[in-house]
Amino acid sequence: MSDKNNKIPFNEDNYTHNINRNNERKLDRRGFMKTLVGAAGVFAVSSLPWGVLAAKELGGLGDKKYPKQKIADLNSVAVGDAVDFHFPGEHDSAILIRLSEKKFVAYQNACTHLRCPVFWQKDEGDLLCPCHHGKFDVETGAPTAGPPRRPLPEIHVKVENGVVYAVGVKRYEA
Amino acid sequence: MKRSYIPVALLLAVLMLNIIATQYMVHQYFYQNYTNTIIAAVVNVILFPVAFLIYKKGVMVND
Ligand code: FES
Repeated sequence: MSDKNNKIPFNEDNYTHNINRNNERKLDRRGFMKTLVGAAGVFAVSSLPWGVLAAKELGGLGDKKYPKQKIADLNSVAVGDAVDFHFPGEHDSAILIRLSEKKFVAYQNACTHLRCPVFWQKDEGDLLCPCHHGKFDVETGAPTAGPPRRPLPEIHVKVENGVVYAVGVKRYEA
Repeated sequence: MKRSYIPVALLLAVLMLNIIATQYMVHQYFYQNYTNTIIAAVVNVILFPVAFLIYKKGVMVND
């Protein structure tokens, strides 16, 4: 920080000699803080679309409506047994498991790793994918072992007059 | 005119939180945990006024 810009080189009517531009490009503490605040603003603005998209998914815009479809008669499925069916389309294979007298769960049975079919293992109480030994929790569809990282898409089931129906898909992603 | 570097440190901490929240938000979105995505987005948005307040305080008191 020399004084060279502050000196009047020679005596004349010089209108710029008193403009001190020495520190113009220095990033001082205040400037640095401004940059940080700006960065926080950019982060804030850029998270908005993610929030909106997530809210949309939650709000059920991602939930398509499907006509309810009969899976099986209540009496034909013993407790602990599983039935394969197709829902919502005829190429979307799915599996229904009767966990107790009242409780049914159903999932799209394409493994969330590489889409091999998932099987119900009665004695272990697990949904097993034979391809790379992925396992899923039968109550929630959440992956518990192996390569899969996303849960199996759940199918909502309803029991009416002794018949089990599939009424909707929680979310299906190819 | 004694300047304090505490606001600077605080702002750096805010920036770190921003980065963490953003990373978490994007990942949770693809894991389809949309509630967590929204929480992270809200955290990110709230961090901006926080950063601004820290800046205001730091500038007015110490400069
Ligand atoms: S396809 Fe199911 S574990 Fe790889």
